Amino acid sequence: MNAGRTVSRRRLRVCLAMVVGVFGVFGVRLFQIQGLDASAYAAKAIEDGTAKNTIPAPRGAILDRNGAELATSVDGLTLTADPKMTAANAPQIARILREKLGKRIDYFDTIDKLRTPDSRFVYLVRDVPAWTAKKALKAIADADMTGVFSEKETLRAYPGGKLAANLLGYVNGAGKGVAGIEQEYDKTLTGTDGASTYEIDPNTGVRIPMADSTVTDMVPGRDVTTTIDRDLQWYADQRLADAVRASSSDWGLAITMDTKTCQIVQMSQAPTFNADDGTGMVDSNTVSRGVQNVYEPGSVMKTITMAALADQGKIASDTPIVVPSGMRIDNFQIGDYWKHGVLHLTAAGVIAKSSNLGTIVASQQMSDTVMYNYFRKFGFGQMSGVNLPGESDGILKNGKEWTKANHATIAFGQGVSVTAMQMVRAVGAIANAGKMCEPSVVSSTSDADGKETKIPAKPAKRVVSKDAAATVTRMMEAVTAPDGTAPAAAIKGYRVAGKTGTAWRVDPQTGRYIRGQNTVSFMGFAPADNPRFLTYIVLDKPYSNAGGGSTAAPVFHDIMSMALERFGVAPTGSKSPKVKQTW
Amino acid sequence: MSPQLARVVGGAAAPAPRFSPESAKAAGLRLVRPVRSRARKAPFVVVVLTILSIGLVGLIILSTVLQAQSFEAQRLNERAAELETQQQLLSREVDSLQSPANVARRAIAFGMVPNTNPAFLRLSDGKVLGKPEAAKPGNTNIRSVSP
Repeated sequence: MNAGRTVSRRRLRVCLAMVVGVFGVFGVRLFQIQGLDASAYAAKAIEDGTAKNTIPAPRGAILDRNGAELATSVDGLTLTADPKMTAANAPQIARILREKLGKRIDYFDTIDKLRTPDSRFVYLVRDVPAWTAKKALKAIADADMTGVFSEKETLRAYPGGKLAANLLGYVNGAGKGVAGIEQEYDKTLTGTDGASTYEIDPNTGVRIPMADSTVTDMVPGRDVTTTIDRDLQWYADQRLADAVRASSSDWGLAITMDTKTCQIVQMSQAPTFNADDGTGMVDSNTVSRGVQNVYEPGSVMKTITMAALADQGKIASDTPIVVPSGMRIDNFQIGDYWKHGVLHLTAAGVIAKSSNLGTIVASQQMSDTVMYNYFRKFGFGQMSGVNLPGESDGILKNGKEWTKANHATIAFGQGVSVTAMQMVRAVGAIANAGKMCEPSVVSSTSDADGKETKIPAKPAKRVVSKDAAATVTRMMEAVTAPDGTAPAAAIKGYRVAGKTGTAWRVDPQTGRYIRGQNTVSFMGFAPADNPRFLTYIVLDKPYSNAGGGSTAAPVFHDIMSMALERFGVAPTGSKSPKVKQTW
Repeated sequence: MSPQLARVVGGAAAPAPRFSPESAKAAGLRLVRPVRSRARKAPFVVVVLTILSIGLVGLIILSTVLQAQSFEAQRLNERAAELETQQQLLSREVDSLQSPANVARRAIAFGMVPNTNPAFLRLSDGKVLGKPEAAKPGNTNIRSVSP
């Protein structure tokens, strides 16, 4: 009995010691958790229990002048995979992806990716529109396969595909504009991302109601409204692409400007690219030639020389000019594109027949400085102010350094390099009764509520007198007359003023002219007695005997006709005055 | 109001008579035992418990409903995202159907050709402005449409 009591007491002590020991361990651990590591555990608990969400701000849309979408943002997904999970079913998954995503992925590449050894994460395909990607994910889930995941992102879509691609530009992988309007107005188009933090159930991920949450509002990017008319742009794109193909030119440009407001209503380039599906994205296609490409304009420049002379009262459309059969200036032989003896042409005849020699004779009435100053006033050697990235200011040598040959050749557009936008602005001044304005491609921006902020147009500057502009316009009307150089540019019922250009191409490597290679162009505006639109066509390096009148003028005719029709510009009904071309 | 009233009453009764047993007896007043409260405790407890339990049950119901709604909110959010995707898909389809390329392609398929000679009819006097000319296939360079 006594021994039993001793045993039970000892057992009791042992048990007590064990209990104390266990509680002691608990106590130590409790102290460690609560006392020493408290903040780390608390932080982990908060992290598990909170969800952070970035609310990406959608990039603003780029609209045409009537509100049609030219560039817009849509939900996109990037598909990723865990090769550990997909290796076994790689061919089946790749087949489903290829079926649903089409050309975006390569079947065999995808199989390789799905079987990447020693990896738990690979990118399968980026930037897929959400609706397409979701179809693929659903098909994979339906086939009872796992291991393909998705990440959300915003995708830039261009509903028109190639439409006005060089003007709109495109965005890079990070969603930043890297060309055209996308780049120039990147800050305006980009919104401010929002963020929200709220408490969730760590197990289910469901939000805990009425728990703490913080929200930073998302501000969507602003929409940019361009001055482009989508339908005219499309027509011009097609017409130009046809012309570039037919004349086997290296590239072509077509720009149409409203001469009253200097708004660019259409700006086409061929060949071009399609940022919507990513085809043709090479430098020679993505460069915006209208503002970035410099070239020698050739005879279109004669209109500027004549305007300068007319402004000084030194020429009228019937001024008689004796045109020699050839000239040698500074060891440089200059002739006309057709062989002739001594001709008796009027100033209008010089323009209508596009005589280099006649223009040189006329331009001799101005000193280098005067002529240079007029060219500067017309904006050559300076950016056009159109606000597009990467614009070039062309090359116009300072008048003080001109040689005799410079004076002669610059008068007919050789030895001077311009961008098409500079040329459009300069001749636009002649169309706009002597006042020059800066071309624009964007008219306003608007926020998500539709509140519009207009971009004010800069006031037009007078370059030459109204009479001088009218004189040159009369000369230019002779160009589209049946006996001019570009009867193909005439639009029945309308008075059309224009000028052809066939310029020698300069080899960029040697800086010398290349025999047989030309840049042909046509610049014109209508109606000549009350101009509304000016269209400029440039075709670079067409087949060797192509000229501005035969190759570029028909393109001008079609695009200008469409512009007049779309904007409801009726003919004025007046008749072109007959101007004598010879004397 | 009442202190003022008391003061007025007091003022009227002054000076206060001194208390004496004789005067009390004469007035018929005597001391009585203090009355013991017989109010029952049970109903009070029941009321309090009822309120508490109603509150508790209410809280549980509220919390459950909120939780359920939270699930519902999440489901609806997912549905909204899905519908937005679908809306984007549909609006893109509409865009591509409305695009000038598509309209032109279908017009060409119907044998239509772009007009290259703009002419206008002035409604006020019925005058034709410009020189209208029948559009013929071949007088335009757009014969096919590339997207």
